[in-house]
Amino acid sequence: MNTAASPLLSVDNLTVEIGGANVVDGVSFDVAPGKVMALVGESGCGKSLTSYALLGLLPDAARRTAGTVRLQDRDLTALSERQLRKARGKEISIIFQEPSASLDPLTTVGAQIAAAYQTHNNVSRSEAYDRARQMLADVGIPDPDRRLHQYPFELSGGMCQRIMISIALICSPQVLVADEPTTALDVTIQAQILDLMKKLVADRGTSIVIITHDMGVVADIADDVAVMYAGRIAEIAPVQSLFDDPKHPYTALLLASVPKLHHAPKTDLATIEGRVPTLSEFGAGCRFADRCPLATEKCRIEQPPLFDCGGGHRSACWHIDRMPEIRKVAA
Amino acid sequence: MINYAVQRFIQAIIAIVGVLTIVFVVMHLSGDPTLLLVPQDASAEMIAELRSQLGFDRPIYVQYLDYIYGLTHLDFGMSVVQRVPALDIVASRLPYTIQLAAGALLVAIGVGIPAGIIMATMRGSVIERILTAIVVTGQSVPTFLSGILLIFVFGVTLRWLPTSGAGELSAMIMPSIALGALSMSTFARMTRIAIIDELSKDYVRAGRARGLSLGQVVFRHVLRNASIPVITIAALEIGNLLAGAVIIETVFAWPGIGQLAIQSIQSRDFLVVQVIVLLISFVYVLTSVLADLVYVFVDPRIRLVR
Ligand SMILES: Nc1ncnc2c1ncn2[C@@H]1O[C@H](COP(=O)(O)OP(=O)(O)O)[C@@H](O)[C@H]1O
Ligand code: SF4
Ligand SMILES: [Mg+2]
Repeated sequence: MNTAASPLLSVDNLTVEIGGANVVDGVSFDVAPGKVMALVGESGCGKSLTSYALLGLLPDAARRTAGTVRLQDRDLTALSERQLRKARGKEISIIFQEPSASLDPLTTVGAQIAAAYQTHNNVSRSEAYDRARQMLADVGIPDPDRRLHQYPFELSGGMCQRIMISIALICSPQVLVADEPTTALDVTIQAQILDLMKKLVADRGTSIVIITHDMGVVADIADDVAVMYAGRIAEIAPVQSLFDDPKHPYTALLLASVPKLHHAPKTDLATIEGRVPTLSEFGAGCRFADRCPLATEKCRIEQPPLFDCGGGHRSACWHIDRMPEIRKVAA
Repeated sequence: MINYAVQRFIQAIIAIVGVLTIVFVVMHLSGDPTLLLVPQDASAEMIAELRSQLGFDRPIYVQYLDYIYGLTHLDFGMSVVQRVPALDIVASRLPYTIQLAAGALLVAIGVGIPAGIIMATMRGSVIERILTAIVVTGQSVPTFLSGILLIFVFGVTLRWLPTSGAGELSAMIMPSIALGALSMSTFARMTRIAIIDELSKDYVRAGRARGLSLGQVVFRHVLRNASIPVITIAALEIGNLLAGAVIIETVFAWPGIGQLAIQSIQSRDFLVVQVIVLLISFVYVLTSVLADLVYVFVDPRIRLVR
């Protein structure tokens, strides 16, 4: 990507099947140490399943049928469930969209954070609580001593997400996967959580894979971005390059629907005419063809590979050369 | 929290007064309760004498107040058949029923809850299918029939267990199973549903995401959360067991209050029946209050908010 360093996390050809359809189809991306990769796309395009597959946490209905997830020099997909458990939370962590639902309602948050530490570290309860207290301070929770003894229902959504981040980071993993971490929160809290995540990257060098449907979030936090459409990567690029010069019609239309980059309010991506094909409608060609102003016969028949446009910018489109036409449509 | 307890206590008292009133009304529905209390061949003088002796010739509201007053002093009237306080008769039989209900509850909880846990966590396995068959059987065979079947197989055919009476522990086994079978099925079904419901929640995935196995998540988090609806069932089932004892005690000739209830109905000893009805109702109310107090310990959302 835009760094010469060898990637910390390298996802290659990840493919997840549900009921015979590839809901995640050949997804590949790399994340360098201390960098933030955003996966962006409309609801249902396979972002969450991609994120679960990174930790081997797919739901029962879904199955990974191809692909590898390399963390440094290890392929996580080759690990046994037992070995994976040792990696989860310690080398790679994940936080989810609904922070309050992600906590056990009957257990104090302190006990839950401490337990997360004890899962991977053979320490006493009081040591684990000390770590938990420290962690709460690190994620900017005032009065940690009081908070430790509270239950999830006593905390706001934003506070619960800070707790989830504490749990995810207490064993200092190299990678944090965040599946729509701010979607359930109000705008001001959303900004605070994003700031916190940026700070964590800066202080600890944790790499982040953030999943969002909000281009504003991408602009705010990401170094690189992969735009997903119907289970596939449509375009992947360093964030500035993607915003300045999108090479895929879908991305261009998405960006046109976002009013102003750096002050973007919560933007729903579903403002492009038409709708995403359902699993049963996936054809042989480009999955965006039904909604694409540039679509030709070739697009419907043959799936476009990711073409390299230089500078780490790649786009899965047969007609990258005709992108100026899109800019006119979008304007 | 204190408010919550007080509120529940007041509700319980209202429920008990309601039951007392209903029993009183039912006793007086026929007009003259004296007729319920005398042998069929009683002479008119006997009836009249008993009527004034029991105070049934007084205005109805006086009788009601007198009845409530009596109850508050644990005066439930005399058995017209045995000429001793009705309460003493019931009290002498109660230990047997408590024994039987405890045995049945042990079967119901001891088998039902583990079965429910296994059925929820080992879906699709052979053991799940076997347990499902047992649970469906337990819930669809009527109590009296399962009692008779047990007697036929283990008592008459195999001769492993005594078919009637109380005394030895072995005599308790069959009636406990017969009485507990239905509750066992209820516990198994409710536990299964409660756990499956919890397993679909985000905190389960979050627990696995921090490196716990599914089994660890179940034991550390899911069971406690799933226990909340099961506690509600437990409260109801204790009352149901006492009601079911009426049938099972008759089938197994078990000398508890269930058998006493049937005998008293046959001999028209209605004041004894009344004590039994009040007792069972009281147990329903008491267990539901106890369940609410247990919630307070399990669920901080009740403990801290209300
Ligand atoms: N447990 C599941 N069972 C069946 N289908 C699922 C399940 N989870 C997700 N899907 C389907 O897979 C597709 C991708 O889902 P998801 O990864 O959750 O999308 P996103 O996170 O981008 O909104 C959707 O079409 C969704 O309906
Ligand atoms: S391949 Fe064709 S249909 Fe797909 S995005 Fe490019 S022009 Fe549109
Ligand atoms: Mg999602």
